[in-house]
Amino acid sequence: MPRTNELTLLPKLPLLVTESAAEFDALRDAFEQEIKPRGIIEQMYVHDVSSIVWEILRLRRCKVVIINSAFRSALQDLLKQLLRQPGQSGYEVEDEAQALAQAWFTDQEAKKQVSELLSQFELDESAIEAEAIRRSSSDLELLDRMLTSLESRRNKALGCVAEYRASLGRQLRESADRIIDGKDVLRLEDAASNRSTAA
Amino acid sequence: MASERQIATNRRNARKSTGPRSGAGRKRASRNAYRHGLTLNITSTAASAKQLDKLVRKIAGDSDDAITLERAREIAQADLDLARVRRAKVALIERAFALGELDPPQAFNTVNQIIRFFNAIDRGRVISFSAPVDSSATMPSQEPGRSAEAIRRVLPELLKLDRYERRAAARRDRAAFDLAGRIKSERNL
Repeated sequence: MPRTNELTLLPKLPLLVTESAAEFDALRDAFEQEIKPRGIIEQMYVHDVSSIVWEILRLRRCKVVIINSAFRSALQDLLKQLLRQPGQSGYEVEDEAQALAQAWFTDQEAKKQVSELLSQFELDESAIEAEAIRRSSSDLELLDRMLTSLESRRNKALGCVAEYRASLGRQLRESADRIIDGKDVLRLEDAASNRSTAA
Repeated sequence: MASERQIATNRRNARKSTGPRSGAGRKRASRNAYRHGLTLNITSTAASAKQLDKLVRKIAGDSDDAITLERAREIAQADLDLARVRRAKVALIERAFALGELDPPQAFNTVNQIIRFFNAIDRGRVISFSAPVDSSATMPSQEPGRSAEAIRRVLPELLKLDRYERRAAARRDRAAFDLAGRIKSERNL
């Protein structure tokens, strides 16, 4: 969709080299269609909401990748715990755990072996995910703080559009009513006539 | 604890200190509190001043009222500030994406390491340090892992920038509602 004149005045959202400008435009267009901004200030808020949502999506993607990339080391640590026999040290089963964790991503047989091992301890694959989340908890906490802040700003910006529109609409309606009724003019005339009567 | 004599000497010496005297020294000292420039006025560059003026005119419409123009300027300035913080965020991520981290690898990571190094030299011993880790080498080579890792590495900085972003947004919101009120009073006149 071609950009309107008002929108070209607003600063463009900088994107990462791996992000698509067309996708961002599509997101903003969707918000524009939904909110139907009137005037530059509402346009500004819609642009802001789109930028915030874009950033939220970016951080959510990042969150998933952080957890996924911790999967291998999480599985390896978990396997070390599960493979260790009483009296054995973790070091003795390290190589086996490493090989099995490596194979788990590509080999169905290894996947089955891990599942059986987990079920011996009444665990399932969610134990791997839990360990991956535990290992990345400090990064996830920072990401969550960022996401909470962005989500609250998105909600505030959306609220601002509604409030600004309602406030402006109400004020313009009141002004129009006053002009139509001529209340202000009458009040001035009354005051002037009162003064002349008193004199 | 310092003795009375030491305290008196310190005070006497402090009175002698009048800060930097040369032009270059004063200029350098004037930037002591400078950290990242995000609170710098947006009009400090000519190009942004022009963009600001255009935006102000668009927001204020055909009004020549000084207060309306001022509110419009506040809104425009806050919006451009927001854009600047967003640019800074993306630039930090891109830098970590390309180089692996924001600061170049250091030979010493802690003050203790530096002290140990000099102590070893004093004792005539040669101490060997492992070469600093090349952060870019530990970056995933493919997407989406590389972008995610870049974001992960600059998360503390992104959080700091988020504070500036929130402040700029709050400034814009206040000014926008003030402007809406101003439009009302202008129409009432």
